[in-house]
Amino acid sequence: MTSLVEVKNVYFHYPRARISSGSSGWTLQDVSLTINLQSTVGIVGESGSGKSTLVRVMCGLLRHQQGVVKFNGKEISEFEGDGANDLRRQNQIVFQNPRRSLDPRMTIRRSLSEPIRALQDRIPDDEELVASIERVGLGREVLTRFPHQLSGGQLQRIGIARSLSVNPTILYADEPVSALDVSIQAQVLNLLMDLREQLGLTLVMVSHDLGVVSRMCEEIIVMREGQVVESGRTESVLSNPSSDYTAALLKAARAASLERVTGD
Amino acid sequence: MLQLRNLCVTIDGHEIINIDRLDLGPGDRLGLVGESGSGKTMTAKAIAGLLPNEAKVSGSVTFDGRDLLTLNDRELAKVRGKRIGFVFQDPSRSLNPMMRIGKQVSESIRIHTKLKGDAVTTKVIDLLRQVQLPNPETLIRRYPHQLSGGQQQRVMIAAAIAADPELLIADEPTTALDVTVQEEILRLLISLSEQRKMGLLFVSHDLGVIRFVCNQVAVIYGGNIVESGRMEEIIDRPMHRYTAALLAANPGMPKDNNFSTFIGKRLQTIAGSVPAVGKFPSGCRFRNRCQHATESCSTTPPVETSGADHRYLCWNPGGEGEK
Repeated sequence: MTSLVEVKNVYFHYPRARISSGSSGWTLQDVSLTINLQSTVGIVGESGSGKSTLVRVMCGLLRHQQGVVKFNGKEISEFEGDGANDLRRQNQIVFQNPRRSLDPRMTIRRSLSEPIRALQDRIPDDEELVASIERVGLGREVLTRFPHQLSGGQLQRIGIARSLSVNPTILYADEPVSALDVSIQAQVLNLLMDLREQLGLTLVMVSHDLGVVSRMCEEIIVMREGQVVESGRTESVLSNPSSDYTAALLKAARAASLERVTGD
Repeated sequence: MLQLRNLCVTIDGHEIINIDRLDLGPGDRLGLVGESGSGKTMTAKAIAGLLPNEAKVSGSVTFDGRDLLTLNDRELAKVRGKRIGFVFQDPSRSLNPMMRIGKQVSESIRIHTKLKGDAVTTKVIDLLRQVQLPNPETLIRRYPHQLSGGQQQRVMIAAAIAADPELLIADEPTTALDVTVQEEILRLLISLSEQRKMGLLFVSHDLGVIRFVCNQVAVIYGGNIVESGRMEEIIDRPMHRYTAALLAANPGMPKDNNFSTFIGKRLQTIAGSVPAVGKFPSGCRFRNRCQHATESCSTTPPVETSGADHRYLCWNPGGEGEK
């Protein structure tokens, strides 16, 4: 297994957070983990545990204050110029709320072109855009539409198409389905699984839904209060949690979920 | 206690809701489940008399022997918030950010009860304690932003039960919350309903959550109740194809911690999406998304099949062994 992202003893705080000699103030505290090439990793934990912050630090949207974050063996703060653009191209992210992550005044064509213009400095033709939109199960007619004319599920497909348009190595999905209905969730999750297999992507998914994570991710990272509580193979962590917190999370998830004999 | 009969809501000539029958007895916990756009929130709003002005309503919503649709605003004000309480999805949007917690909860006490002065404060503290909030004496001085999402939702529930309602309508009350907090809030709703013999109408798109909270369920699609009955009966033996599809699309959790059966497994999906209002097909409204549609589904709306604990409208129902 080749390691793609290496996080070592990373500390992060937001501007103006008060850092005391104790533990308070840090949003991420001494976080270490490795993401292997073509692996599927789920990050779970409660609101405020630092899941989303960790994802943003790993893909270079936020700069950590201490520790090391390496992408392909190189510290991400050392990527400059064209290298920084390529880092962004290889690290793509799908956000929770597609309605908020697409500019309401841009047509879908324009929104889809943005990453290619910004990161590859060229204007894609319609053929390329149609191909990227068909890959996520939508048709060419959506290119001329505006976000308000599309449903939440369609918009999330566009969010996925947009992030895949620059051929990333790793896709970060931050709660990609929690704003969607159960029925639409299933469509988007299946799409992510299919695309990941077809394209050989590395997938890091933030989710509060353990049922979803246990379908999508072979590995799991449990976070609490800015620290990694537990990590490992999803199956072994969830069937035999070593921390009380993971056990509590499982109990809560189990209470309000349907029980299934098999995954089908 | 609550009876909906031939409730029909139209906006701009489009039929939004058409419910022939829906009943909720005292202390019952009824889950209303469906996708976005299926009419579940509109149904809750119709019961509450909170529909937009342009909506035309016919039929009846009988609560404790009186038809709520015939009441004027003043009469309705005595029912709404007093005998029927409401909790909505996003507590941070339902609370006034400029008002202290104590004052927000006391509003419904002042409006709906005869309590005055210190008695109001005592009641507020008592209510905050009932929804299991820590240190209610200091909490009443706080503003909403100083509370977590789960605490805010508890405050909303405290305000909703302040006037001892007989019915609580909760519209996706835990969708914005973490799983652990969700479980706590759901348990709180169940225990309040049991202690107070309070009916609960629980609206959600997630059958997992509904199964945990409710003993009755009604599945809504295209503004029609397509299947309803006792919770376990419907989870175990869904007859309507839409109910079965909703169950199959739910990610769920593996039985007996058997996570190895889950990895990489695709979910069953429901083709397409809920059509826009006015764009439903003829016959059965679900037929263009249904894998089991037959000739008769496209020509005639399905008629009701009803048993003791179970009613459904489907021409080609599923059932045992076909899950």
